[in-house]
Amino acid sequence: MGLIIETERLSRSFGDRLAVDGLALAIAPGEIFGLLGPNGAGKTTTIRMLATLLPPSGGAARVCGFDVVGAAGEVRKRIGYVMQQVSPMGYYMLTGREKTEIEAALYHVPRRQVKARAGEVLDLVGLSEDADRLVQEYSGGMQKRLDLACGLLHRPELLILDEPTLGLDVPSRHRMWDHIRSLCDQGMTVLLATNYMDEADRLCDRLTIIDHGREVVSGTPAELKEATGAPSLDDVFLRHTGHALREEAE
Amino acid sequence: MMWSQEVLALSRRWLLILLRERLNLLFSVLQPAVWLVFFAGALGGAMDPRAVGTDDYIAFAVPGIIAFTVVGNGVTAAMPLLFDKETGYLDKLLSMPIRRSSLIVSRFVFQVGMNSAQVVVILLVALVLGVRPASGPLGVLAILVATALLTLALTAAAMALACAVPSHGTFFAITGFASLPLLFMSNAFVPLSAMPGWMETVARANPLTYAIEAMRLLVLDGWSGGVPLSLGALVVASALLLAVGSWQFARQTSERIA
Ligand SMILES: Nc1ncnc2c1ncn2[C@@H]1O[C@H](COP(=O)(O)OP(=O)(O)O)[C@@H](O)[C@H]1O
Ligand SMILES: [Mg+2]
Repeated sequence: MGLIIETERLSRSFGDRLAVDGLALAIAPGEIFGLLGPNGAGKTTTIRMLATLLPPSGGAARVCGFDVVGAAGEVRKRIGYVMQQVSPMGYYMLTGREKTEIEAALYHVPRRQVKARAGEVLDLVGLSEDADRLVQEYSGGMQKRLDLACGLLHRPELLILDEPTLGLDVPSRHRMWDHIRSLCDQGMTVLLATNYMDEADRLCDRLTIIDHGREVVSGTPAELKEATGAPSLDDVFLRHTGHALREEAE
Repeated sequence: MMWSQEVLALSRRWLLILLRERLNLLFSVLQPAVWLVFFAGALGGAMDPRAVGTDDYIAFAVPGIIAFTVVGNGVTAAMPLLFDKETGYLDKLLSMPIRRSSLIVSRFVFQVGMNSAQVVVILLVALVLGVRPASGPLGVLAILVATALLTLALTAAAMALACAVPSHGTFFAITGFASLPLLFMSNAFVPLSAMPGWMETVARANPLTYAIEAMRLLVLDGWSGGVPLSLGALVVASALLLAVGSWQFARQTSERIA
């Protein structure tokens, strides 16, 4: 079976600043793979390259077997992208269901199936009851779940989640984790960017910690803790970089 | 097929938002009619019929009011693009397997629909005020065509600007600065022949002038050779602005992948 994500020396610079520096990732089907690092480590930039939004300035990346530059269209059909931050201002005046149906049509769900498919994904994230309320009335957690639902509309092979629990309260985070876990139980491949160590520890099969755009260390959560003799992933990060993970956090 | 589904879905988003903002909708529809009554009513008495070329200033002003409305709506045409760019939703849209052109085309479709509805309201109010287009019902259709072409041109220009500016503040500063000169450097309210020479030269380079010229002939004189000529000039202007708009949009998205 081929890899879902495969990058070679993937790099991206902004001016003379290297945001991603020679990253090599190999993610197999069915994995929850964590991309960890403090704010500014280069997680979103990596994801934007994989989501065909930003051309790499060096190296190459293949998603579901397609080059992100040469076959961007094929990649887009196969990924669901849940962005780190998208202000809902542009669809405040829509209901959750309307937004979902519109995006279903944009993902080329056949016209007759749009309503049913939108209902399905809203149900999946527990928003059925609130589907006909305006998005402006949604809490932060509900908005994130709505984004997650919209990322599932076209049954993607790969789900890319950029800090899906950033800014959520504890119950909302746990709820989001449950949804992610059940998606994985159904065989979805997930790339999860986060700077929460406990999130990665709970969810990820394997992970890579990056800092300043470079790989620091990779492995399963257990391997990483064992190899460094550290009690938590926070400490793993600390031992490898000499500074605390949250240090650069806002 | 897919393309029409994309355009429809994106247009549905704006239509739903528009219908939900009822007050906004109400004022958008009423505003040009109010202008027609007050503006034309007030200026009409002060106008010299010999300079205007007709003693029916309201009929003379109808095309000007239509242009006024289309210019005003041209600014709102680019708002979704402007704000989707800033909120990040544009990125989400661009990560979907949709044609880039759908994002632009859907906005044209929506704006042409909006402006046509407003033009119909303006013509109805004008009808009540006694204005009968000399070119008849077919002329009304031609007026709608002119409106659509002008909408295309101004929407393209506004989208190009929305792509080029760093933030919405700059966008509103520039459009606020440019809207009134654009209108008054045209034959919207005063015929070209009554303008100083330099102003007439500027007005002749203004696409608004050709839309208004075509509509004014249709309202006041009926069908004449000047109509296709003016519409032709408008087509050229729209094509040019569309090219600039596409180029700017491509630039905006090429930092991303095409
Ligand atoms: N469009 C951009 N222009 C300039 N610099 C950028 C841009 N996007 C990201 N960066 C820089 O790249 C680095 C990595 O950012 P990012 O990938 O957003 O990190 P993370 O998602 O891990 O917090 C940061 O230093 C950031 O300032
Ligand atoms: Mg980020």
